[in-house]
Amino acid sequence: MAEPTSGPLIVQSDKTLLLEIDHEAAADCRRAIAPFAELERAPEHVHTYRLTPLGLWNARAAGHDAEQVVDVLLRYSRYPVPHALLVDVAETMGRYGRLTLAKHPVHGLVLTTTDRAVLEEVLRSKKMAPLVGARVDADSVAVHPSERGQIKQVLLKLGWPAEDLAGYVDGEAHPIDLAEQGWTLRPYQKEAVEGFWHGGSGVVVLPCGAGKTLVGAAAMATAKATTLILVTNTVSARQWKAELIKRTSLTEDEIGEYSGTRKEIRPVTIATYQVVTTRRKGVYPHLELFDSRDWGLIVYDEVHLLPAPIFRFTADLQARRRLGLTATLVREDGREGDVFSLIGPKRYDAPWKEIENQGYIAPADCVEVRVTLTDAERLAYATAEPEERYRFCATTATKTRVTRELVEMHAGEQTLVIGQYIDQLDELGETLDAPVIKGETRNTERERLFEAFRQGEISVLVVSKVANFSIDLPEAAVAIQVSGSFGSRQEEAQRLGRVLRPKADGRAARFYSVVARDTIDQEFAAHRQRFLAEQGYAYRIVDADDLGKA
Amino acid sequence: MTTSTRRTKGGPVGTPAGSAVPRTLAEDLRGRGDDELAQLLRARPDLTTPVPVDLTQLATRATTRASVARVLERLDHFTLQVVDAAVVLPDGFGYPALRDLVGDVPQLPGAVEVLRTRALLWGPLESLRVVRTVRDLAGASPAGLGPALPAALGATGPARLQELLADLGLPPTPDAVSAIGAIGALFADRKAVAALLGEAPPAAAEVLDKLVWGPPTGSVRGADRPVRAADANSPVEWLLARALLVPAGPQAVVLPRELALTLRGGRVHRDLAPTPPEITATPRDPQAVDAAAAGAAFTAVRRVEELLELWSTGGPAVLRAGGLGVRDLKRAAAALDVTEAEAALWLELCYAAGLVAGDGEADERWLPTPAYDVWRARPVAERWATLAGVWLETTRVPGLVGTRDDKDKPVNALGPGVDRTAAPEVRHALLGRLGELAEGSAAPAADLLADLAWHRPVRTARLRSELVDRTLVEAELLGVTGRGALAKAGRALLTGELNAAADLLEPLLPTPLDHVLLQADLTAVAPGPLVVALAQELHLAADIESTGGATVYRFGEASIRRALDSGRTAADLHRLFATHSRTPVPQPLTYLVDDVARRHGRLRVGAASAYLRCDDEAVLGELLADRRAHGLRLRRLAPTVLAADGAPDQVLSALRSLGYAPMAESATGDVVITRPDALRTPPRSLPPRVTGEPPAPSTSLIDAAVTAIRAGDRAAVSRPRGAEDGEAPAELPRTSAAETLLALQAAFAERRPVWIGYVTREGRATQRIIVPLGLEGGYVTAQEHTAGELHTYPLHRITGVAPVDVADPAPS
Repeated sequence: MAEPTSGPLIVQSDKTLLLEIDHEAAADCRRAIAPFAELERAPEHVHTYRLTPLGLWNARAAGHDAEQVVDVLLRYSRYPVPHALLVDVAETMGRYGRLTLAKHPVHGLVLTTTDRAVLEEVLRSKKMAPLVGARVDADSVAVHPSERGQIKQVLLKLGWPAEDLAGYVDGEAHPIDLAEQGWTLRPYQKEAVEGFWHGGSGVVVLPCGAGKTLVGAAAMATAKATTLILVTNTVSARQWKAELIKRTSLTEDEIGEYSGTRKEIRPVTIATYQVVTTRRKGVYPHLELFDSRDWGLIVYDEVHLLPAPIFRFTADLQARRRLGLTATLVREDGREGDVFSLIGPKRYDAPWKEIENQGYIAPADCVEVRVTLTDAERLAYATAEPEERYRFCATTATKTRVTRELVEMHAGEQTLVIGQYIDQLDELGETLDAPVIKGETRNTERERLFEAFRQGEISVLVVSKVANFSIDLPEAAVAIQVSGSFGSRQEEAQRLGRVLRPKADGRAARFYSVVARDTIDQEFAAHRQRFLAEQGYAYRIVDADDLGKA
Repeated sequence: MTTSTRRTKGGPVGTPAGSAVPRTLAEDLRGRGDDELAQLLRARPDLTTPVPVDLTQLATRATTRASVARVLERLDHFTLQVVDAAVVLPDGFGYPALRDLVGDVPQLPGAVEVLRTRALLWGPLESLRVVRTVRDLAGASPAGLGPALPAALGATGPARLQELLADLGLPPTPDAVSAIGAIGALFADRKAVAALLGEAPPAAAEVLDKLVWGPPTGSVRGADRPVRAADANSPVEWLLARALLVPAGPQAVVLPRELALTLRGGRVHRDLAPTPPEITATPRDPQAVDAAAAGAAFTAVRRVEELLELWSTGGPAVLRAGGLGVRDLKRAAAALDVTEAEAALWLELCYAAGLVAGDGEADERWLPTPAYDVWRARPVAERWATLAGVWLETTRVPGLVGTRDDKDKPVNALGPGVDRTAAPEVRHALLGRLGELAEGSAAPAADLLADLAWHRPVRTARLRSELVDRTLVEAELLGVTGRGALAKAGRALLTGELNAAADLLEPLLPTPLDHVLLQADLTAVAPGPLVVALAQELHLAADIESTGGATVYRFGEASIRRALDSGRTAADLHRLFATHSRTPVPQPLTYLVDDVARRHGRLRVGAASAYLRCDDEAVLGELLADRRAHGLRLRRLAPTVLAADGAPDQVLSALRSLGYAPMAESATGDVVITRPDALRTPPRSLPPRVTGEPPAPSTSLIDAAVTAIRAGDRAAVSRPRGAEDGEAPAELPRTSAAETLLALQAAFAERRPVWIGYVTREGRATQRIIVPLGLEGGYVTAQEHTAGELHTYPLHRITGVAPVDVADPAPS
């Protein structure tokens, strides 16, 4: 029998691509398929990519054509690629760019086609009727400039994504420069900014801890215009502000905070999702923010968490440059299509492992610690109400004991204990004699504690889910999670990000999950385990009794 | 058109062999050489089953409707065009006349030879005859031509004929026959017709234009009203007055054949197609073709295996009418991650190959057959050859699944109504045509369809375009073709050499591997096909997540438990992983196996119909040791608990007979006090009342009975003398089957009454006089002379035929 051809790639019938990474051509192949295939899983030996219409359109937006994609698949594939799949790829990619949005001297904005039948097809759709004006000629139709966002959303849903070539307004100029003193942008950060700027608008995908804030700052320094930054919460807003003051020529007076407590509008304004999406009597009172200045750039932090109303506001902001920053394009609500059509295609993507290998983020050692419940606890668990079961097994007293052991094992290292339930956290704080940060903790107190933790004045901090997003704890070497929100993968990514900052001594970060054996907790842990393993992290399971030996 | 040979009853038909001009087909056949007869039998294999006893019988069988229809179906377009032309000519025509009607093309002699070989055309070239059945099958309007004038004007009165002659400007004639002859001669004269039409109003010419290429009839009100030329008000009346159109009923007119032929310029066909249409081939790299086909072949085998593995643990239900429910098909398609059409293909293939069948239980389910196990154990290439061979020859058409049948019912996979006899022929013809092109050539479906339409116009008329499209799609899915061109293995398949096909495919298939890559996210990736044993083990211990060139397996608690349930131990699984993993076994997987194994079997379940509980362990020990209690089959579950096999009351009485004093316990643990209960049945309804009288019949029933009695009475009275039932069978006319058929055909042709001996369904021998009105498919439809009713008689129950005037069989 013949030897299989030597390619590192195997094309599956469900449109996934398996890349054998120990293969000598794997690195080349990865680079070749990255523009059009989404990395789905990256465990240690075989990475799984998926071909999706959005991914293929992303590739088209980045200037790749179907021929290149087909060529890559044929070149690296180990087995014959099903003809139907190649035809499908060509067909899908051919759909992007048949329609383009462009400026028109008379009509303002027009939708033009290279294929008249496609234009006729989309114009027949009921959803298109309110968005378009008069027919300019056989191949183009006027579009109300205010509907630039909606029309892109609708066209994507119809399967004919439009290429937006209508350009951007420059916005109000404002001098911003990077202050590269004692540090420089990393190569991948530079590439990300260039990719974004060249594309006009779009999303940059970088793992937690890879310096997304800097990418935002560098984009602002390239735009040199007034900027609106949308972030998840107030703590995150403060950190953005601190980072911008430190890394750019901006001064404290030039940066405003628009949050629940303060309503400042300055050349660079940082607003929280929450305040923007606040609704009173059916109206959004803070929408004025978007019109209050002639913004030249809008930055969306954590795009995968963007709330639905912001998509709607964003639809009206299509003439402004938009930069999305995220660690993952996977949204748990499935609105990836809206990110694509309203913020823009993916402009840069680097997998965690690659950046980790370059030494910019710390490697992590993930350990699941299985604790056995006592007989009394098991009986109580068995009789608990279904809605109480998770809470019960996640907060069992045995966990507190094991957590204490873990903290003692890592005495002297900066350790975070993360949990979901306030009672449990209070109890842990008491047991470990450590301060607790939770929802009711005031912002000033939070910042004081974070600073103290950074300075090494305190080495153990117990945090609730308020710390899930965008806090920056440079020297956390150990994270211990005792409970979480039902195995959410997103939460896992964020928590892991807490310990991925490179350590001074280059040690691997430790990421513990304490899990109650034979309970629903263990089921949720299985989701997290799968996620971490798929991200390529070493993962072990140990029994609490064997901890000393681990 | 009226040259049916009068055949005498019995004995050799016609003149002895050796005479110059054969008078019947049998004589013609007698004059042919042995190899010519062999050719005939080869071209019409149905004539050999059973082998005819003599040439008379051969000739009779060769002219039966079913056999002629069969051979006509298998003629190509051009030959059928020649048949059309031959049918238009009266029997005894010469070759030149045929050539004039068809057109002088070099393919004509060949086509005539084909027809002669198949005994559709006989006689010398100067005087050719078309078999009568061919004329019948051609129908009233062959090639869209209307009836000839003698037939069209046959019912017209002599006075009307003279009127027509006058309006055509022809001299009057003495009788109807010569009148019709005169009109026919005028219509055959091209110049005269042109002159006639020169005077016609333009609208009349348009009417003729519409009818000239068929269909030759048009509908018009008051068509049979006699119109004189002078009174004609409309174009149609203008034509009717001159017999250019002839009434074919009160509402219909028809264009006479002679005129149509003249208007067609003396030819029968507008578009003569002596050669098949061109096929524009697209060249492809033969190597790429073979590679693509091999990839598809591999996937095909895999899909079938996946599907049947899925059904191995309990297939879906067999519908009451046979077949697989729509929802089950959807489920199968979803499980295979393919379209329903593709799932239907694999299912039908499994079914046709005998790999899946109903299990024959009361609640019948679809299950893999033992043949599947044999099939599965063979190498991939051989498995493929089996499937592809079955596909090529099966009459099942998977493309019909999901469509609606004639009764608008959905057609189900694996059910009835999926068979089409033409399917294997279409597949052979189509792939054969691809094979005739240069190696690696693909051809567009439209061209192949046109080609097939030329080669087998009748046979494949129904469903042709669907069959062609589906065949091409299926061939691609099966890997018989690759990128639209016939692959090497597919070529071998067409010649029926399955082994050769498998040998050609084998080197192109990926080598089966004996290792997988295990990963910490609890997946195993097999980077290619696995050796069967390993695949089966993994299939047990893991779920398949994605298939294709590789297979991704996922381990989970449920899948590991499944492996443990089927007898594997944790150690077995660890060994499996260690032996077959190219990479170190990830710790979470090891942990998972141990964790599941730790809990596996901790709870035990068994069946017991009663239990014994006793705080005194010694009592239970005593019972276990007591030989008299062996019948209870006691076993110890715990120091103070025994299980027994009998029902609690049996156990109680048995224990009592052993001298114990046991008490019964209810499900809640309470002591049950037993005392004999009074026995009762469940609620019952009253018994039916029995009376001596039957229920009074209804009026309608009585009316129906009276009618039936009267009808029977009338029939008996009008029965002719001597034709009574129960006559001695010895006096029935007896003829051989061939003679019977011949005599009936003759009687049918002349509408002449004959005596038949007929055995009724009850087995009684009877005699009847019938006038045959139809003779088809082994049945005679006839008017029974005495009762005047129409009956259908199966030929095999007719013992003999005698002419009515020759011998009166009634010995009164």
